[in-house]
Amino acid sequence: MRGYKAMIGITRDVIDAGAMIEAAKRPGMGALVTFCGVVRDDSGVERMELEVYEEVAVRELAAIRDEAMQKYPIESVDIVHRVGTLSVGETILLIVVGAGHRKEAFAACEYIIDRLKQTVPIWKKEFYRDGERWVPGEYVD
Amino acid sequence: MKIRVKAFARFREILGSDLAIEVPDGATMAAVLAALRDRAGDESDAIFDEAGALRTHVVLMRNGKRVKRDDSDALADGDEVALFPPVAGG
Repeated sequence: MRGYKAMIGITRDVIDAGAMIEAAKRPGMGALVTFCGVVRDDSGVERMELEVYEEVAVRELAAIRDEAMQKYPIESVDIVHRVGTLSVGETILLIVVGAGHRKEAFAACEYIIDRLKQTVPIWKKEFYRDGERWVPGEYVD
Repeated sequence: MKIRVKAFARFREILGSDLAIEVPDGATMAAVLAALRDRAGDESDAIFDEAGALRTHVVLMRNGKRVKRDDSDALADGDEVALFPPVAGG
């Protein structure tokens, strides 16, 4: 896409959702659908540590972006996933899909988050006051 | 020859994050897995079953690409093998 520079990546910094949405806007877009994943207080979770197999994760994120752009009539996909130590309420992940109309943007956004949960090598460990546990993942053969 | 092994999440806690394993020239994935089973010791049952085979949910990669646990291709010096439990991002 001419002049379109997608943001795809892994970060250790705070994700600025507003800035990402503004940066994604293009004149032909009537809809930007976002998915924002957040650390939830699940029965006393105090913080979460996320780790990544970075080279493979970045490649997978780009592959998912390409699949979504082929499958749906959308104009842009940005995906940023945070790793490191996060507290309850912090943003883990932001997906921004820009399109002419909302329907395809919603569908593409859901497709992207579902694929991401299946294929991108990232893991989460939850820390409670009195313990810790790895969040079980989704096994896809 | 030297094979680099990366393990993640629970497997990293057991094996270490980034290790180098020495295997004979021409060795396959089986040699690397045997070395990892020894290294895991008492905690190997998180990764391997009673018969010593990788548990079915374990994902195995060679140089960033998924491979089967019984992959019979010879490894090359400097290859990177990765193993990890099911992913849980998002």
